[in-house]
Amino acid sequence: MIGGLFIYNHKGEVLISRVYRDDIGSRQAADSAVFSSSGPFPGERLGGSMRRNAVDAFRVNVIHARQQVRSPVTNIARTSFFHVKRSNIWLAAVTKQNVNAAMVFEFLYKMCDVMAAYFGKISEENIKNNFVLIYELLDEILDFGYPQNSETGALKTFITQQGIKSQTKEEQSQITSQVTGQIGWRREGIKYRRNELFLDVLESVNLLMSPQGQVLSAHVSGRVVMKSYLSGMPECKFGMNDKIVIEKQGKGTADETSKSGKQSIAIDDCTFHQCVRLSKFDSERSISFIPPDGEFELMRYRTTKDIILPFRVIPLVREVGRTKLEVKVVIKSNFKPSLLAQKIEVRIPTPLNTSGVQVICMKGKAKYKASENAIVWKIKRMAGMKESQISAEIELLPTNDKKKWARPPISMNFEVPFAPSGLKVRYLKVFEPKLNYSDHDVIKWVRYIGRSGIYETRC
Amino acid sequence: MPAVSKGDGMRGLAVFISDIRNCKSKEAEIKRINKELANIRSKFKGDKALDGYSKKKYVCKLLFIFLLGHDIDFGHMEAVNLLSSNKYTEKQIGYLFISVLVNSNSELIRLINNAIKNDLASRNPTFMCLALHCIANVGSREMGEAFAADIPRILVAGDSMDSVKQSAALCLLRLYKASPDLVPMGEWTARVVHLLNDQHMGVVTAAVSLITCLCKKNPDDFKTCVSLAVSRLSRIVSSASTDLQDYTYYFVPAPWLSVKLLRLLQCYPPPEDAAVKGRLVECLETVLNKAQEPPKSKKVQHSNAKNAILFETISLIIHYDSEPNLLVRACNQLGQFLQHRETNLRYLALESMCTLASSEFSHEAVKTHIDTVINALKTERDVSVRQRAADLLYAMCDRSNAKQIVSEMLRYLETADYAIREEIVLKVAILAEKYAVDYSWYVDTILNLIRIAGDYVSEEVWYRVLQIVTNRDDVQGYAAKTVFEALQAPACHENMVKVGGYILGEFGNLIAGDPRSSPPVQFSLLHSKFHLCSVATRALLLSTYIKFINLFPETKATIQGVLRAGSQLRNADVELQQRAVEYLTLSSVASTDVLATVLEEMPPFPERESSILAKLKRKKGPGAGSALDDGRRDPSSNDINGGMEPTPSTVSTPSPSADLLGLRAAPPPAAPPASAGAGNLLVDVFDGPAAQPSLGPTPEEAFLSELEPPAPESPMALLADPAPAAEHPRHLAPPAPSGLIWVCPGGLGQRDSDGALPPPPTAGRMYLFYGNKTSVQFQNFSPTVVHPGDLQTHILSGPLAVQTKRVAAQVDGGAQVQQVLNIECLRDFLTPPLLSVRFRYGGAPQALTLKLPVTINKFFQPTEMAAQDFFQRWKQLSLPQQEAQKIFKANHPMDAEVTKAKVRDRGRVCRPMNFVGAGIIQTKALQVGCLLRLEPNAQAQMYRLTLRTSKEPVSRHLCELLAQQF
Repeated sequence: MIGGLFIYNHKGEVLISRVYRDDIGSRQAADSAVFSSSGPFPGERLGGSMRRNAVDAFRVNVIHARQQVRSPVTNIARTSFFHVKRSNIWLAAVTKQNVNAAMVFEFLYKMCDVMAAYFGKISEENIKNNFVLIYELLDEILDFGYPQNSETGALKTFITQQGIKSQTKEEQSQITSQVTGQIGWRREGIKYRRNELFLDVLESVNLLMSPQGQVLSAHVSGRVVMKSYLSGMPECKFGMNDKIVIEKQGKGTADETSKSGKQSIAIDDCTFHQCVRLSKFDSERSISFIPPDGEFELMRYRTTKDIILPFRVIPLVREVGRTKLEVKVVIKSNFKPSLLAQKIEVRIPTPLNTSGVQVICMKGKAKYKASENAIVWKIKRMAGMKESQISAEIELLPTNDKKKWARPPISMNFEVPFAPSGLKVRYLKVFEPKLNYSDHDVIKWVRYIGRSGIYETRC
Repeated sequence: MPAVSKGDGMRGLAVFISDIRNCKSKEAEIKRINKELANIRSKFKGDKALDGYSKKKYVCKLLFIFLLGHDIDFGHMEAVNLLSSNKYTEKQIGYLFISVLVNSNSELIRLINNAIKNDLASRNPTFMCLALHCIANVGSREMGEAFAADIPRILVAGDSMDSVKQSAALCLLRLYKASPDLVPMGEWTARVVHLLNDQHMGVVTAAVSLITCLCKKNPDDFKTCVSLAVSRLSRIVSSASTDLQDYTYYFVPAPWLSVKLLRLLQCYPPPEDAAVKGRLVECLETVLNKAQEPPKSKKVQHSNAKNAILFETISLIIHYDSEPNLLVRACNQLGQFLQHRETNLRYLALESMCTLASSEFSHEAVKTHIDTVINALKTERDVSVRQRAADLLYAMCDRSNAKQIVSEMLRYLETADYAIREEIVLKVAILAEKYAVDYSWYVDTILNLIRIAGDYVSEEVWYRVLQIVTNRDDVQGYAAKTVFEALQAPACHENMVKVGGYILGEFGNLIAGDPRSSPPVQFSLLHSKFHLCSVATRALLLSTYIKFINLFPETKATIQGVLRAGSQLRNADVELQQRAVEYLTLSSVASTDVLATVLEEMPPFPERESSILAKLKRKKGPGAGSALDDGRRDPSSNDINGGMEPTPSTVSTPSPSADLLGLRAAPPPAAPPASAGAGNLLVDVFDGPAAQPSLGPTPEEAFLSELEPPAPESPMALLADPAPAAEHPRHLAPPAPSGLIWVCPGGLGQRDSDGALPPPPTAGRMYLFYGNKTSVQFQNFSPTVVHPGDLQTHILSGPLAVQTKRVAAQVDGGAQVQQVLNIECLRDFLTPPLLSVRFRYGGAPQALTLKLPVTINKFFQPTEMAAQDFFQRWKQLSLPQQEAQKIFKANHPMDAEVTKAKVRDRGRVCRPMNFVGAGIIQTKALQVGCLLRLEPNAQAQMYRLTLRTSKEPVSRHLCELLAQQF
């Protein structure tokens, strides 16, 4: 389990230090206790300094490490450090034990979410301003290194930013029963005049393509984020075009499925928010839940089959002698012409000995960015089934270095208003038996956003 | 040097550097650098030629980027171009870039070398200096190959500027250090020495550095530098503080040069020329005098510079080690520093005193500061200073102050830093052993040591205490009592359990009379520690238990119960299991007599060099040993400290568990016998290895003479029958000091390849070879060794324990049989043992009786002793019965060298007509110290030999034996 949690700023100074277990770095104390009959308790004496050692070890070996790419898990002196970075802030979980690394990272992400929900952006200033709150949160969501309830909605009922609010006995007992009860993420008695919910399907598509246009690897990782403003304790049921569900239903009405032309998708893995009843999902493959109030991530999934690639990049690189390089790149949009892609950016790496670049492009703006060793081509908007091209002449400085240019891949960023995996929301039904509103009274909104993840084409 | 004009400020560079400094993150810095690199690339690529200024600016930027840790793979060409510029600043930047970034790129190296060559050949001193600095900074082999020949020429050229000479000397020094083989020695070397006379102090300083380095390899080439250095030094030392202007540093004239000159002088022995020496001594005295003067400035730089010279002077005085007056003065000066408030000074003073303590002139003077040093050990805040204080205490320790020093070090140990504890433990152990006045003190000290710092007491230390206790009867009872008391502490260290287990197992009976330490109490005390110990200790304790069964039969049942317990008999550790099973069976099967024999008390350990001293030397590493090895200063012939003598033995200490079982490793085999002469029985009886540090040929020759009297009654007569050649009487070859050649024409010969007995000194081994010269078989061949007076040689009551191996009863014609005799001297004896050989030859029984060349002086162990020690002891043995004197005529020509070799006077007390020697006769029962004095009278060809030993008969007998040698 997690032995301790530290938050550093970009210089490696410790902003928050919370230790849950004495074992981090107390190995020497154990060793020295074998034959020593004299001296005070060794663990006692060394504990403080050893903890500082763990803190310093991370700073020296990870934050100040020379290499640019750091492993998220670092093992120093039989102590494991798991870290995530948010802008300039490092969060590091430390443990001596062989823990489930995925659990630790899940916790760290959750911790970031909770902090963001309480005070917005995670920055050094915000952390310094809220350090009492952060310690309060850490006391609540980790117990002896074991993660506890980290649901923001639930936490906000008893950890507030307004100082100590005197609560009545009833309120206190209500909080206790709710937090320790079955549905710890939603409190009772929520009322809205307008019952409304928002569903966002957010996907990021990753691709690696060969220069010849062959897909080397492609996958989509997506999330369904829900924002709910519903009264009472509503029971929700979410349906999408999951292949297994469709086929199960389709047995009876196969022609109906084909008629509607709806495609089903194969989901490789998915994870759900804790409110989803997993037993029901296992038996009936239906996703039913009582949602927390406010925003939460309903599910996360990954698909690898039948991905719609929104853009195709066709590179052409020609070396003219030792001192010149000609590059031509064509991009083709591959979706319905009625849709518009946004924030398109193509990044063409240039050799390290580039001494001058001339660019000609028909659409958007292109610029050689020396500080990044790349030509960056930006297009604001682009409709489907179109194509555009750029050509550049790169002058090179002859060097005595024998190293050949490694030709890094051309990468691309964009945003499209559909789900590249093909996922569709089929329904979201809301039942609230106790209150008098029905499924029809709820206003529902659905939005699809497809973004680029690592979208690269070799050249 | 041309002044840097304002316009050369390179604004672009300053802006770039401040941009980098303002970067918030590493990523931002990399971005800025990439941008700048692209800019420089486009500038260098540009078709129009860059002017010198921008070239310099961009090269500077590249250099800065490189120094930030980024790879630079272009711009070298531009830097090389800068070298050929005529502007100083551009050339300087070019050289800077080359010095930092040059790689062995063949193409560029050629260009660079060319540019350097041009600059060296130019008459411009600044350019020459730049080129020389570049060579020194790069210092690669290629550079050395290209320029090693030119630089000496520049160095000694008459028209070189001072600054160029200075640079050339330092550059040459750098090349020499990098690749000494490249720098050619030649006629310039003599002229380099004369640079010491140069007007310019900078040149002299640089030259001294160079000469100091060069003369380490070829001291003879630079011998002349000594007198020059002395005169230069005396000029500096005697100059007033204002004389040297630029080279006066806070009122101290040329401190660096002085220090370097003093270092240079430390490469050579004291000058022989009296005038030079006088001048030097005067210098050294002046420096010492100046130290006493009030400081001219309160600034710390002033005292630092002054003290630097002073300390270097003191190390020179120590290096010479020949001026008692100066040594004592130096010591007093250091004594003042011991209480200085500067930590560095205290450290240096302690360090220098350590070396002073080993000089015979100043040892006494150092000792006067003992209280200060002890105080430093206690109160000093800096750990390194405390360490030096501990070193110094160790170095200044001798018999007079050993008790005080050891107790202080023990007290310090309780609070000492962990890093130096082990070393202090070793030192205490060595001092306690070396200067022990009585054994109870020694045992107390070591047990205290284990109690205080058990973790740091290495194996060697407690092995040693066991060895000493085992070897000394008088201390055994005390040791047993002390360890028993120590073991009663609730928490005692495992090493203490080991020592306690061993000692109680051996000598527990000595304290069993006291009801408080009755056998069951002893056993239960030891057994209460058993479960807390490691496997090795448990094994040792099991052996102790079985010894208890022998010592105290009443504990047998209890101990058998312990051994029978499942935790022992079925122990997972195979060694423990085996011991438990074997001991249990042994205790139940064997009779009391057998048990008593098997579990007899351990025999004394052979004396040898203390293993802890060896360990300390190892710890200190080679080279550091000399300062510590003060065995030279205080050789102890005292029998207590007998173990300290260096003997050639390198036997490792056998493991304690093996020892307990009586499985002590056999002494190393003697030197293999030289091949016997083929035909005639040329028997080299005493061909001891010449390197043996024994009394040399003395004992052998004593025996040679000893053998002569019995010759008439020698058994050769008996051999006359079978051996046809027997009518030639056996004769002795002319006596040669190197050994005895004994030609025996008979059928039998014997040879002893082991003239000097191997360690252990109380025991020896003799190889006898019986050769049948006839063609007929000998039957019933049986050699026996008899000691006159008692015929039963195997019984321990005789003075010698002789163990023989049986030989085959038949010896074929022409065959040779070997027999090994293991002889151990139990106590002193006067008559040599006899070898009686009986065999049947042609049906007739034959018997031969030969004296074996085993005399008391074979068990001599030489001892080193200083003159005053010798005479002190000589006076102690002044009782008439302790002395034996003989005046006799010289048998051999009186040759001082030969005589000296015979006496092998190792104490270096050489008077022309008076030889002395000292040694110990090692027997199992006791050790007899012997002192010898030989006074030759050349005119009368007579000697007077006087022997004084602690035992009366030994004196007389030895006197007889030794007199025959001279």
